[in-house]
Amino acid sequence: MILLAKIALGVTGTMALATMYTFREGTIRVDVDEHHAGGSHVHVWVPAAVVPMALHFVPDDKLRQAENRAEEWLPVVRATVLSLKDHPDAEFVEVQDGEQHVHVQTQGGRIRVDVTDEGEEVHVACPISTIEDVADQIGARSPHI
Amino acid sequence: MTYRVRGSLKTATFVAAAALLLAPLATFAQTNSTSTADRWIHVRVTSTDSKGETVKVNVPVDMAEKILPAINNDRLHEGKVRIDNDNLNGIDVRAILDAVRTAKDGEFVTVQAPDADVRVAKQGGYLLIHVTDKSEHHHDKTAKAENGKKTEMINVSGQHVEVKVPMKVVDALFSGEKDELNILAALRALSTSGDTELVSVKSDDNTVRVWIDSKNVSD
Repeated sequence: MILLAKIALGVTGTMALATMYTFREGTIRVDVDEHHAGGSHVHVWVPAAVVPMALHFVPDDKLRQAENRAEEWLPVVRATVLSLKDHPDAEFVEVQDGEQHVHVQTQGGRIRVDVTDEGEEVHVACPISTIEDVADQIGARSPHI
Repeated sequence: MTYRVRGSLKTATFVAAAALLLAPLATFAQTNSTSTADRWIHVRVTSTDSKGETVKVNVPVDMAEKILPAINNDRLHEGKVRIDNDNLNGIDVRAILDAVRTAKDGEFVTVQAPDADVRVAKQGGYLLIHVTDKSEHHHDKTAKAENGKKTEMINVSGQHVEVKVPMKVVDALFSGEKDELNILAALRALSTSGDTELVSVKSDDNTVRVWIDSKNVSD
């Protein structure tokens, strides 16, 4: 009985820690809505903590390809991310063209891109720290960075 | 009062005095860093067409200062842009700027031509450039048939460009090698400047404004 209680406590504790970690790292959100007949609605919420972990399971050759393509711009991504972390929430880009609206902003440690068009909406939100982790992991494999 | 209490009081007084003496220095350092961190470059493009397209871009100056050296692409390296001397038609821009810098405030260039009016002046530590483009490119042509002959009516629709740049920014811009523009140094100089409207372009279909201030929103 005591052994079962100990196992239950261990499982509950691990789950609580995992939940806390997930919430601390935030979530990556992708929402796509097409407001017309037969239009698709895609809503993806992924715990941001999963992404750096998932990178460990990406085949080496695929990651090397990504690394080769991104090598030139990784320092730019890193500099941007570090700078974004130093700034309070702000709207960096706003484009309004008739029915079309594009917003790029930072909010609560996340970078948000919102695109609204006639009958279509795309919202993407990603924690800045996740972008930093991914850039670090890809960069760590590159001998030039 | 015991010896120990007196000793503690002495230490506390010494610490308080040191804190008071160092406070202005700390405040100065903080103000300095805040002034750079809080500077924002704003770009706004407003179209006057029926859709009323508007583009607003807000970039913190210190962010640009950090990102720029990381970009190494084409002609941009380490915050410096390599310029092609062929495009300058043999004009020694450095010599001209040096002459402008050492000169007193006043109007240096005034050109009034059929296709453009240009005015270059120095005023209150700023380099001012005003251009009114009246070239064919901006004319609206309408063909009209009169007595069997085709005549062309030209509606002149100029484009007004106003550039106001602090002289120290211009100096910093040309502080690198002869064939390069030091954008990074210019940004650093810009971050210490006051609120300024840097560029204003007004044409029939568009308005472009570039300015710097301490607000993180463009409105």
